[in-house]
Amino acid sequence: MKKIIIALSLFLASPVLLSATSIKAEVNGMVCAFCAKGIEKKLNAMPEGKGSFVSIKRRVVVLELKRQHSVPLEKFTQVIEEAGYSVSKVEKVEQSIDYIKAQLKANQ
Amino acid sequence: MYRQLFIASLLFIFSFPTYSAALMGFEDSTMLMTEAGEYNQELMVNYAPSVRHAFGVEVMRMSPKGERATTMTGLNYTGLLKRWNFPSAQANIWFMGSVGEAIGQFHGFSYSPSVQFDYETTRLYFLAKVRMVRAPGMNNDVAAIQGGFSFYETDFDETQPWFVLEAKTTRNFNPRTQVTPALRLIHKSYFLELGVTNPFDKDERSLRLNLMLTY
Repeated sequence: MKKIIIALSLFLASPVLLSATSIKAEVNGMVCAFCAKGIEKKLNAMPEGKGSFVSIKRRVVVLELKRQHSVPLEKFTQVIEEAGYSVSKVEKVEQSIDYIKAQLKANQ
Repeated sequence: MYRQLFIASLLFIFSFPTYSAALMGFEDSTMLMTEAGEYNQELMVNYAPSVRHAFGVEVMRMSPKGERATTMTGLNYTGLLKRWNFPSAQANIWFMGSVGEAIGQFHGFSYSPSVQFDYETTRLYFLAKVRMVRAPGMNNDVAAIQGGFSFYETDFDETQPWFVLEAKTTRNFNPRTQVTPALRLIHKSYFLELGVTNPFDKDERSLRLNLMLTY
């Protein structure tokens, strides 16, 4: 029932939640809060970013971009690697952080 | 792959005796680490200009039972020698060294190099460490291992409780062996651990508190 409500909410809110561009990566080695904090700090320092999201459980790191801004995937990967971790997959998605969070919650 | 790593970790642990936790924060971070117990007290502050190096100051007090304590104050360097990132785990080899001055039961130039190996997943934790603790006439070298598990998996914005067991031996020190079961709480930028050293020996039983803050 909970999943149905989340899925329905996502569907209804999708025009708003999908209207953002984010970079989403799967990160290896990110197992502790201190690891995640280091990555979050680096992402929050990026001027192109509107917000960031880090999930240790799902090994996911997301940077939502400001409108009319972009970051090359190579640069994003480099930021994560400079924080001490490795990226196994990175992609640009037309989704907001809120949408990705809700999606991850629904898939739990 | 995991099996090989596990075997390699075990070999490493048993060939290198051990002791502590992540030794520095992230790039451009400041970390404060303290240990307060009856036999050892320690305070360290370091700054990490990069993810691989940190520089700081340290005060360490060794208080053997029935003897006068020795306090070592010095400058400290921490280096990440090697990191392995796995899909759901991380392993590291660290070097840490400090040089300074000892006062108390022993006096003079003190130095304390150490090597640490740790392996961690979101639910399991393992650490092995050897540390030389030397000053003129003093040899309190330490070897320690720690292992632990978290009660449940949490995400970045939640507090994660862990049970950790540490076994530590200190040369020329009373008590030579210290076994400390502890409860550890980790949340974003802090780490708090409360343990009881040698809980089954009424003469040596004592509380131990560890705190770590990263900003």
